[in-house]
Amino acid sequence: MLLEVRDLHVEFRTRDGVAKAVNGVSYAVDAGETLAVLGESGSGKSVTAQAVMGILDMPPGRIGGGEILFRGRDLLKLKEEERRKIRGAEMAMIFQDALSALNPVLSVGDQLAEMFVVHRGMSKKDARAKAVELMDRVRIPGAAQRVRDYPHQFSGGMRQRIMIAMALALEPALIIADEPTTALDVTVQAQVMDLLAELQREYHMGLILITHDLGVVADVADRIAVMYAGRIVESAPVHDIYKAPAHPYTRGLLDSIPRLDQKGQELYAIKGLPPNLMNIPPGCAFNPRCPMAQDVCRTDEPPLYEVDRHRGSACHFWRECLNG
Amino acid sequence: MVDAVVEPILEVSGLVKHYPLTQGILIKKVIGAVKAVDGVDFTLNKGETLGIVGESGCGKSTVAKMLVNLERPTAGLIKYKGEDITRLGGRALKAVRRNIQMVFQDPYTSLNPRMTVGDIIGEPYEIHPEAAPKGDRRRRVQELLDVVGLNPEYINRYPHQFSGGQRQRIGIARGLALRPEVIVADEPVSALDVSVQAQVINLLDRLQNDFDLSYVFIAHDLSIVRHISDRVGVMYLGRIVEIGKDEEIYDHPTHPYTQALLSAVPVPDPEARERRERIILSGDVPSPTNIPSGCRFRTRCWKAQERCALEVPLLAVPAVFRLVPGPAAHDSACHFAEEKQVVPPEEPTDDLGNGGA
Repeated sequence: MLLEVRDLHVEFRTRDGVAKAVNGVSYAVDAGETLAVLGESGSGKSVTAQAVMGILDMPPGRIGGGEILFRGRDLLKLKEEERRKIRGAEMAMIFQDALSALNPVLSVGDQLAEMFVVHRGMSKKDARAKAVELMDRVRIPGAAQRVRDYPHQFSGGMRQRIMIAMALALEPALIIADEPTTALDVTVQAQVMDLLAELQREYHMGLILITHDLGVVADVADRIAVMYAGRIVESAPVHDIYKAPAHPYTRGLLDSIPRLDQKGQELYAIKGLPPNLMNIPPGCAFNPRCPMAQDVCRTDEPPLYEVDRHRGSACHFWRECLNG
Repeated sequence: MVDAVVEPILEVSGLVKHYPLTQGILIKKVIGAVKAVDGVDFTLNKGETLGIVGESGCGKSTVAKMLVNLERPTAGLIKYKGEDITRLGGRALKAVRRNIQMVFQDPYTSLNPRMTVGDIIGEPYEIHPEAAPKGDRRRRVQELLDVVGLNPEYINRYPHQFSGGQRQRIGIARGLALRPEVIVADEPVSALDVSVQAQVINLLDRLQNDFDLSYVFIAHDLSIVRHISDRVGVMYLGRIVEIGKDEEIYDHPTHPYTQALLSAVPVPDPEARERRERIILSGDVPSPTNIPSGCRFRTRCWKAQERCALEVPLLAVPAVFRLVPGPAAHDSACHFAEEKQVVPPEEPTDDLGNGGA
C-alpha cells in the first residue's frame, strides 16, 4: 500500500473550545489508484489531507492520535527536515485556488525551475529547460515563450495546469488534489480533469481527489470515501455507491443534486445543518438529520460495518439503507 | 412553475454595457472597451422563471445588475410592464425599483455584519416607507423570517450567528420585503453546500407560487437552472447564443456552444456517463476587449467555417428548422445549427421521498 491513514484524529484548539475536525479517519490508496474523498465544508476532508502532507497549522491544530503510513513509514514520527524531503518529491498537492497558491511576483518558469534547483540540485539553465518541458506536458500553448509570464497573465484553467505541472515536477508517487476544478468553468473543468486523469495513468501515481462534487468524482475515481463530521461514513468502489448507497447521508447527497436529464418536482433536501464540530451529537453524528434514525443512533456510535469485502458503512441500519 | 398567461413583465432589447478602457493619467484617452454585454434581448413573462447560464465573464451578472439598476446600460431598453426604465430617475425610478429586487450570490459579503437580521430585512422599509407603517415593521420582518423558514425569534441576531444557507434565507427575506413582482437571483446557491442547496432551491420554488413572483435566475450550473427554469438562455461573451423552453435547450440544443456546455456537465452516475458523448472545447473564452469577428464562438467551435468569421449569426430560429415546427425550432445564433442530443433521454425514476426543507 502506498499510503495508509489509520485512525487519525485532528483537533483545533480555539478560544471557544476544542473543534474536533477529524475523528478517527482511516483510508488507503495504492499506486495507480484514485481515491475520492467526498464531503461538505467542515467534514474534515481537507484537514485530513493537510495532516498527510504535513502542512497543518500547529497550533491551533493538533494531531490527537493515529498513524499516517507512507510506503510503510509513519510520517507522524519523522522530523520536520525528513518530512520536507518527502513533500514535493514523493508526495505533492494541488490546491483549489491556483492564483493564491502561486507566488505572484515570480514568473511561473522560475517557480517551476525552483523545484529542480532545490530538490535535484540542477543548474538554473537546466532547471529552466525542465520547466518548459513540464509546461508542454500539461499542454500550455507556446510554453517556451510563456515560461517568463507571471501567474496573473494566465487564465484560470491555465493556472490550474501550472499547479498540476508543479505537483508533477519531481514525479511524486502520490498526489493530493484539493478541489482542483471547483474554481473553474464547466468547459474548462472537463479539460483539466481529463489532463489530471491522463497524467495519473501515465505516471502510475496514487491520487487522492478531495471534492464536494459528486459529478466530478463519478468520472475519475476508483473508490469513494464519504466524510461527515470528521469521520468516514461510507467507503466503496465508485459504481456501487451510485447504484445503491449504504449510508443515509450518501443517499441524501445523491438525491439532493438536481439532474440534467431529469426535471424533478421538489428536490429532496437533507433537513437541518451539519453539526458544530465543538459539539458533535452523541451516537451517530448524522442522527439529528437522518430520516432513518432510531434510539440506538442517538446513543451508540456506529463502527464502520463491513458491507462486503470492498465496502464499509458507518450506519446501524446499512442493510435497510442498501435496500432503499 | 405554472403555465401563466403569457404577459411580459420585463422586455429587454439590444441591451449593451461597455466599460471604457483608458490610457494616461492626466489626459485620459479611451483606447478600447470591455464589451461585457453586447446586445442582449429577452422577455420575462409573468409568473415564469427565466434561467440565464454561461461561464464566468460571459456578462450574465452585468445583465442582472442592469435589470435592478445597479448599472446603467450603454445602450438598449429594459421595459417593465411596457415602460422603459433605463432613462427613469428620481421618484419614478424608485417606484420601479420596489418591484424588481435582487438576491445576491455570496451570503457572507452581501449582509452587513454590524446590522441585526431585523435591521437588514427591515432596511427596505426605511427606503420605501410607504410599504409598511413604522409600527408594523417589526411584525412584518418576523413574518418574513417565518416565510423563509427561520425562527422569528432570531430577529435580534447578527449575520455571523448563522450558517451559509441560513444567511441566504436572510438575503431572500430582504428581497421579499417590498413584495416585488420580479426577483433577479444572481447565483443564489452556488456558495452553498450540496445538502443545503436543495433546501434553498425548494424555498425559492415555494415562494414563487405563494407570492406570484417572476424570476430571472442566473447561474453557471446547468442542472440547477434546468430544475428551476421554464425557459433558459445561454450566454457567451456578452450575447445570448440560444434561448428557448427548458426541453428545447436541454433535449434539443442546436447551438454548438450549448451542446458543449451540456456535454461537459459532470453527471453523478458513472453509467449514464458512459452512454454520453463528450465534447471538450479547446482553449479559453476570448477576452471581451477583443471579440472575434462574425460569430464570437468561432474560435472554439469545431464547426467553424469562413462564413462564421464574416457574418454575425442572428439570434432567430435557424432556416433549417423554420418549416418544421418542433422542439428544435427555437432561437439559436448559429449559421450551421444542427440538432444534437447530448443528454441521454430521461429514464423512468422512482419518486423520491420528501425530506422537508
